[in-house]
Amino acid sequence: MFSVNIFLAVCLGYVALLFVVAFAVDRRTRRNPIQWLQSPVIYTLSISIYCTSWTFYGAVGSAARNGLEFITIYLGPTLVFVGWWWMLRKLVRIGKAHRVTSIADLISSRYGKSPSLAVLVTIIAVIATAPYIALQLQSVTRSYQVIAGGGDSASTAFWIATGLALFAILFGTRNLDANERHHGVVAAIALEAIVKLVALLAVGIFATYGVANGFADIFADLPNEALEGAEGIFGPRWVILTFLSATAIICLPRQFQVTVVENIDERHLATASWLFPLYLLGMTIFIMPIALVGLKVMPEGANPDLYVLTLPLEQNRTDLALLAFLGGFSSATSMVIVAAIAVSTMVSNHVIMPLALKVLAGSHAVSGDVRNLLLSSRRFCIAAILALGYFYFRFSSGSDALAAIGLIAFVGVAQFLPSLLGGIFWRGATRPGALCGLTVGFLLWIYTLFLPSFGNELLFSDNFLSNGPWGMGLLRPQALMGLVGWDPLVHAVVWSVGLNALTFVVVSSLTNPDALERLQAGIFVDAFRTAGGTSSSFAAGTAQSEDLFILAQRILGAQPARILFDEMAREQGTATGLPHPTDAVISRLERELSGSIGAASAHAMVTRIAGRQTVGMTELIDIADETQRLIETSRQLEEKSNELEQAAQQLRSANERLRTLDLQKDEFLSQISHELRTPMTSIRSFSDLLQTQPELSLEDRNHFTSIIHGESLRLTRLLDEILDISRLETGAATLKLEPVGVNRAVAHALDAVLGISRSADVEISVGPVSPETQVLANGDRLHQVLINILSNAIKYNHAPEPRIQVRSLVTREKVTIDIIDNGGGVSREDAAMVFEKFARGKNAGQDRGAGLGLPISLAIMHAMKGDLTIEFGKDSTSFFRLHLVHHESVVASA
Amino acid sequence: MSDRANLQLRRRKIRDRSIALLLLGIVLLLPPAANMALIDAQVGDLPFALAYVFAVWVFLIIGTALLSRPLLASDDSSKTPENISPEN
Repeated sequence: MFSVNIFLAVCLGYVALLFVVAFAVDRRTRRNPIQWLQSPVIYTLSISIYCTSWTFYGAVGSAARNGLEFITIYLGPTLVFVGWWWMLRKLVRIGKAHRVTSIADLISSRYGKSPSLAVLVTIIAVIATAPYIALQLQSVTRSYQVIAGGGDSASTAFWIATGLALFAILFGTRNLDANERHHGVVAAIALEAIVKLVALLAVGIFATYGVANGFADIFADLPNEALEGAEGIFGPRWVILTFLSATAIICLPRQFQVTVVENIDERHLATASWLFPLYLLGMTIFIMPIALVGLKVMPEGANPDLYVLTLPLEQNRTDLALLAFLGGFSSATSMVIVAAIAVSTMVSNHVIMPLALKVLAGSHAVSGDVRNLLLSSRRFCIAAILALGYFYFRFSSGSDALAAIGLIAFVGVAQFLPSLLGGIFWRGATRPGALCGLTVGFLLWIYTLFLPSFGNELLFSDNFLSNGPWGMGLLRPQALMGLVGWDPLVHAVVWSVGLNALTFVVVSSLTNPDALERLQAGIFVDAFRTAGGTSSSFAAGTAQSEDLFILAQRILGAQPARILFDEMAREQGTATGLPHPTDAVISRLERELSGSIGAASAHAMVTRIAGRQTVGMTELIDIADETQRLIETSRQLEEKSNELEQAAQQLRSANERLRTLDLQKDEFLSQISHELRTPMTSIRSFSDLLQTQPELSLEDRNHFTSIIHGESLRLTRLLDEILDISRLETGAATLKLEPVGVNRAVAHALDAVLGISRSADVEISVGPVSPETQVLANGDRLHQVLINILSNAIKYNHAPEPRIQVRSLVTREKVTIDIIDNGGGVSREDAAMVFEKFARGKNAGQDRGAGLGLPISLAIMHAMKGDLTIEFGKDSTSFFRLHLVHHESVVASA
Repeated sequence: MSDRANLQLRRRKIRDRSIALLLLGIVLLLPPAANMALIDAQVGDLPFALAYVFAVWVFLIIGTALLSRPLLASDDSSKTPENISPEN
């Protein structure tokens, strides 16, 4: 047996070794990084702080009592690492992009950099961690007492706590450098990870092959209960424990610290994904054999929690016992150191710093070096957390309450899970949702698991536990709402995590995120699609470079701040002086600062200097404006396209009209040439005859000359008519309008056609006639129209007893003159076309009129603001009606 | 099919396999499937339930190890892992 002195010397030597390793690595790394230390293997080993002394000693105890159940604590993390691609990778990516310093920082950052959320997460973490640290102190103290054969537990624990605090302060708060990486600490815990694995394997092999005779011997004739526990192994408790351990590997502050914050390279996760489960397998493979051998060979009443240590001692293998002690010591110390660093970072960043900022806000002096303040607050926090753990240990010492503390802490940190997962996978998760969910889960955890764990009469009396507060059975902490008969742990998890998640989802769905939160939600959920680190870009307001520089100096230190600002200035192209406070500069500064003091605090500080309290609103408006602009543009485009469509339609119809007009013009031309051709042909042929046949008689000559003369006249008349109609239609000829007596004009016209009417034997009657009325017209032109219509009526009337009736009618505004003949008039089919140029009715027969009379008449009537229409009687006879404007109505309206 | 489409398909397959492995692990290690291991038999020198849990565990480790490299290679969002670190 070793003497206590040698034992102490070995222990102190081991501690000194850890200090030297951490110190050397820290020093070397600051000059240039050590390659092998940045390897995935070291990363994996640092994650193995998951295996605390609770694993090292407690797992054997658990196996001795409950059989296989202990394995669940390792299956959960295994599953999480098997699925590393889907969650851990995203966490690491987000953590790197946003320079996350802790799990509280990540959650607060996701929910709009909320300080209140950060504080809540920190409080839960502290409450869950302190007992866990106490558990480590207890196991180290007990194992020390076993080895040293007694000793005062209080003072032993005190010295252990002091030593651990010293180590954590020395190597955990050397700097505030980027991403909170602690290379010295990582190196030390990697070494400890190897020591504890080797120690446990050594004890396991010794137990299996040294004490027992191999596996066959150990498992021979094993009763089922030894393996499957008293109530069957694969039940609700198995599921809940697997779930809890899977949650813990993500949510425990120390695990988050080593897995996410200390991660150097995302690719390391790929190696850790199988190497860490393999490490866990190595740690557990001999747990069952040690427990079973211990149960067999150890005396009745020996504590199974200490079999790892007492079994070698019992077999007089003190060297192995010493190794086992060092393994347990390593498990405990590495956990305590990392947990203290992780939690102190949270406390100082989210609780102390905001308070200090408030105090310092009054004095804007540079002298208040935030950097030093931050370091001191972190050191103080480490000491305080270890002190808390120590007092917890003293407070609950002697009771067996600590045994369950590991799982109680697991349930505590499991409250982070809904907000964490919701935050990185669900855009709709909101800050009120996270706050409410966490609060509900936290309170239920305290009530159903944490407080009852203190056990007998300490906080809750037996009466309280079995009958509920004030005898209200429904509120029994371990049978809430009458859920009797459940395992207390399962009961607590179902209530706290279940209601937490439910509240989180329901409240999130009922509340709206503010602008910054929406921005962060997008960046976090789409971590793999965004370029990374583009968080919270907001327009520079009244930000002053000088102030920002001072702020950076106070937090990062003078030199790093100088370097950072120089670099940013260079990027902007300014060789000297400070960079202009653009979006990019402010965002980057905020990110750099958040690497030291957390996102919420960094955001608060930068925002205050940048003079922007309502960053969110501006961003929101910007986003809204952008959307509005897009909508507006698209609307305008649509309008434009409609306009174009209409214009095209108009162009098409104009084109159509032009074509029609062109066609009409062609027709008109061909008709004119046809009409002109006939008289021309006869003139030419008769003048030819006159020229070529001198022997013609005088009589014939005279006859031919008269024909030529007649045709020339006809030609002239035709040309005059064409000229006339074109002038009338184009409006070139403006008719001088004057008052004309209707009856006089009619009588005048009848006089003019008297000759032809007599020769055609047509009887013309006038009446009924209105009293003499003045119309506005051109006398000569009206005369022309009347003669034209009358002569047409005479010419084309082939009735046996041709008659023509002329009548006039005066209404208030109009005067109409009807010329009615009994020759049948114009048929309905012809009515539409008789006003066309060169058109002749069917009745026209052999007449050789040019067919321009009616079109000219119509044009004249139009020029006199009147009209010429064909009216149909009841017996489908038709007659012409002249519409004229009443002179008096024009005078009256004038 | 183009080379690019082939590559996409291969990547998706690898991710699908990683999901499948995870689901398989969850199903095999939890009840009700795990209850099938509760038979009164021995595998070598070990009780069946114990051997079963460890066998699944080893299977998961090997599966994850085999998939870890192809998965990394399939990650098109970070060709160089440090490019996401803001200081670069």
